[in-house]
Amino acid sequence: MSREELTTVMTELEPDQLISTKEHHHCPRRRLTRTEMLLFWALRIYLVFMVGVVVYQIWTSVR
Amino acid sequence: MTRSNVVITHEDIDRAHDRERVSETRARRGFRPRLRLFWLLIGPGILVMLGENDGPSMLSYAATGARFGIGFFLPFVVLTFLMACVVQEMTVRLGAATHRGHAELIFDRFGPFWGWFSMIDLMVGNFLTLVTEFIAIRAGLGFFGVRPAVAVLSALLVLSVALMTHRYWTWERIILGAAMFNLVFVPVALLTHPHWGAVGRALVTWRPLPSGPSQETVLILLADIGATVTPWMLFFQQSAIADKGLTTRDIRFGRVDTVLGAALATVAALATMLATAPLFIHHMSTANFEAAEFAQALQPFIGHWGAALFALGIFEAGMVAVITISTSSAYAFGEVARRPHSLNLPFRQGKAFYLVLLVEATAAAGLVLIPGIPLVYIVLLVNVIAVLAMPPALLFLYMLVNDREIMGALVSPIWANVLALGVVIVLIGAGLLFGVSVIAPNALAIIGGR
Repeated sequence: MSREELTTVMTELEPDQLISTKEHHHCPRRRLTRTEMLLFWALRIYLVFMVGVVVYQIWTSVR
Repeated sequence: MTRSNVVITHEDIDRAHDRERVSETRARRGFRPRLRLFWLLIGPGILVMLGENDGPSMLSYAATGARFGIGFFLPFVVLTFLMACVVQEMTVRLGAATHRGHAELIFDRFGPFWGWFSMIDLMVGNFLTLVTEFIAIRAGLGFFGVRPAVAVLSALLVLSVALMTHRYWTWERIILGAAMFNLVFVPVALLTHPHWGAVGRALVTWRPLPSGPSQETVLILLADIGATVTPWMLFFQQSAIADKGLTTRDIRFGRVDTVLGAALATVAALATMLATAPLFIHHMSTANFEAAEFAQALQPFIGHWGAALFALGIFEAGMVAVITISTSSAYAFGEVARRPHSLNLPFRQGKAFYLVLLVEATAAAGLVLIPGIPLVYIVLLVNVIAVLAMPPALLFLYMLVNDREIMGALVSPIWANVLALGVVIVLIGAGLLFGVSVIAPNALAIIGGR
């Protein structure tokens, strides 16, 4: 890597755009509230149930 | 960490060169530099919107035009693209503010459990969608007598060639050029000589309405929503913005890029519905049509060249989507598995990224060659599954874009949250309506007042 390239990288990219920064510094994990957990699970159950509905529809139309 | 002890990668250098051109252009005044700046910064928004006008989407629009003609579904499709704008704008802010992909943020902020869950949702959805893209490629080229195996292999070859650039900027420009071909449906629509008065009336009044809610109407309704708002779009646009290197200064351009993409995609979608409307007027049954059959059925109304353009449009829609959707999978995998993930990577450095992309596409391509698979049905159901998977994906997006710790002052304003909530309600409502139509079809008649 040339000095010119190094200068370009340092002037043009924001510090957290550098790959090494992203690799070593991850966003800290946040604590989920009970309501958020409930919402996550409710939507997960909704998805599983609705996929079941799709499978049922495929089964009835293939029958 | 000081900036003197960081490791600079090949990917950083490529991205810095792209940003250098942006900085130089931004420093100049006048109309032409502004235009050039716009040219440099657009891409992910147009790509994601035209990429979502994919094989199953165009088939859904074609089926809608052929089944319902000019009426309710024209403004409804405009509404779905407005919904897509609301959702995708959030990914623009998120990508520019954090410089990280969507899967990576979910993994970091909500932990590995939800991170892997959302990535598996994406991978499964993307795989099913890729199958339908190859169906579209096969059907589109089938119109010209190309054998399925040759069509599918050619598509895989195009995908591989696009990746050989090893440069995000070049890749983006090539795919942008290809995506513009989506507008080929406009001349096809013009060849059918649409009744513009009826089109205008339908767009303003949302009429005529479909005749009573039936299972087929609900399926088409969901397929049309799934044709514009899907989980892969969230992952792709945010990752592409990070890969392109957009920053918070570029958000305005990112928004324009997204709205422009949505406008172009809306025009192509409406054109497809108008193009197949003659099949509705002449009461032709299209229940088991694949794309090639649509082209053949339209031939008496638009001639051989018109039909050929329609078939080419279907091929292009599938081809561009194969590239963008498989890329979104590769981005997500790299982000969650903490592997290098960028289109700026040489193959040796980004082996896992490129392999996920190619293996997923190849597996989907292989499935399409199995004889006797009910292709049309799969196509419509894939769009339905996309709608059903959207609310959980939107919850992650909503929470991330309102997370002050990562977004700072760029958290969503109240109006954006109200709109996003409106989109979630519409999606869940549509999903539940689909559930009712399958489990208790008679209830639909009661809902429709019959």
